[in-house]
Amino acid sequence: MLGKLLKKEFTLTMHPTVPVMLLLGTMVLIPNYPYLVAFFYVTLSLFFTCLNARENNDAVFSLSLPVKKADLVRSRILFTCIIELFSILLTAPFTVLSAKIAPQGNAAGMDANLVLLGQGLLLFGLFNLVFFTSYYKDISKVGVPFVTASVVSFVLVGADVCLCYAVPYVKNVLDTPGFVNAAPKAVCLISGALSFAALTLLSYKISTKRFLKLDIK
Amino acid sequence: MSILEVRKLNKTYPGFSLSDVSFSLEEGKITGFIGRNGAGKSTTLGCILNLIAASSGEITVFGKSFSDSEAEIKQKIGYVSGAVNFYPKKKLRTIASVTKEFYGEWDNEAYRKYMKLFSLDENKTPSALSAGMKVKFSLALALSHKAQLLILDEPTSGLDPVSRDELLEIFLTLKDEGKTILFSTHITSDLDFCADNILYIRNGKIAAESTITDFVGKYRLVEYEKDSLPAELKTKLIGETRTKSGMRALIKAEDESLIGLTAEKADLESCMVHLEKEGDANAR
Repeated sequence: MLGKLLKKEFTLTMHPTVPVMLLLGTMVLIPNYPYLVAFFYVTLSLFFTCLNARENNDAVFSLSLPVKKADLVRSRILFTCIIELFSILLTAPFTVLSAKIAPQGNAAGMDANLVLLGQGLLLFGLFNLVFFTSYYKDISKVGVPFVTASVVSFVLVGADVCLCYAVPYVKNVLDTPGFVNAAPKAVCLISGALSFAALTLLSYKISTKRFLKLDIK
Repeated sequence: MSILEVRKLNKTYPGFSLSDVSFSLEEGKITGFIGRNGAGKSTTLGCILNLIAASSGEITVFGKSFSDSEAEIKQKIGYVSGAVNFYPKKKLRTIASVTKEFYGEWDNEAYRKYMKLFSLDENKTPSALSAGMKVKFSLALALSHKAQLLILDEPTSGLDPVSRDELLEIFLTLKDEGKTILFSTHITSDLDFCADNILYIRNGKIAAESTITDFVGKYRLVEYEKDSLPAELKTKLIGETRTKSGMRALIKAEDESLIGLTAEKADLESCMVHLEKEGDANAR
């Protein structure tokens, strides 16, 4: 049933900006730019998708189908994870290209490298936790959860820029182009992936509990 | 056999509550769910479909607990709402192609038959359909997955008389095919036309559950001039209201001989209007 709900998410609910924002992984080719913002744009398209769901009465439509109420949360969060992971995968080849065409690195935050992808996963994990746990309290109010999640995202972007300037280890070891210092960078990527998994799982559990208590009108 | 059983359903909102709502639906019958706006019809239907989280209560459909077998039970339920508009800018073809994936018993031939019967064009979007055609599309989807129980939430609200009549005829045909229909409405004349049973909800409580014939048979309608009745007879009047020529009220059928006035048979609308009026007067 989850596969069918996912098909519904992609066919009916997904906002047209989702594939467009996925292409913004190419932003790592822009010289001297806070690349984490590219991942924020993906979360923006996920917000539009939830807005689209509200405007089309998706919850009532979906609940009239032979599914359990909790399945709706599972499919929306799974859809989100697929988009987020696809965004990371699409960005990866451009980080390699970026290191080749701009070996001097990025002056505005982390270089395009494995650490950036790990940070992207952390940003997605935090978005999933903050946005969905608030959204599933009342799915008719999509704006406040997104503003709150965006504040968290931009704190992360700001922290990244500051750390790259202020902390010597980050500046000299992690904020370097390509696969230089590959081992510590890989550790950052794995840590990001683990954070993403843990935060999303926690979000799913809290969101489901809240959605089951929610009245859909 | 009872297709749907609701037992002691409760839901509390600030300022309104459903209190111990209990009823059951007979197989192959049309049951009209009546009550004024805000009486709790949509809340009850929402609880049945798990759109609304009930505070307590038990719902059994096709002999199975809804909370234990939600997805399985919904395979045999068709939900049609007159008020809600799903994906208004998507083509009917796209909505149907997504919907059919969920149903094990989806019948493409039946889908084509109903789309043709209801004159629905798959290339149109719901936003291009009239209110009546939207209801027909929801019905076509429900009937294509062989729903045995149709839950219709105010399907005729806002429809012109001809479209309403068309839909009511369709409901009667579905009943002949053995479908069970729960039909919420505040347009009682629709139920006079097609329903076998009624379920009457007032202020979140079930006020009556019976056949229409039994329900309206309990009452008579009397008209009289203002202040023409002695005080002891006035206590027999239910929901006294003014008319152009005097006063009108409902009385219990057994009081007909006491009143000494010519009484008419009551219809569903007059029963509901006078009972509501009486309820309001008692609450004041």
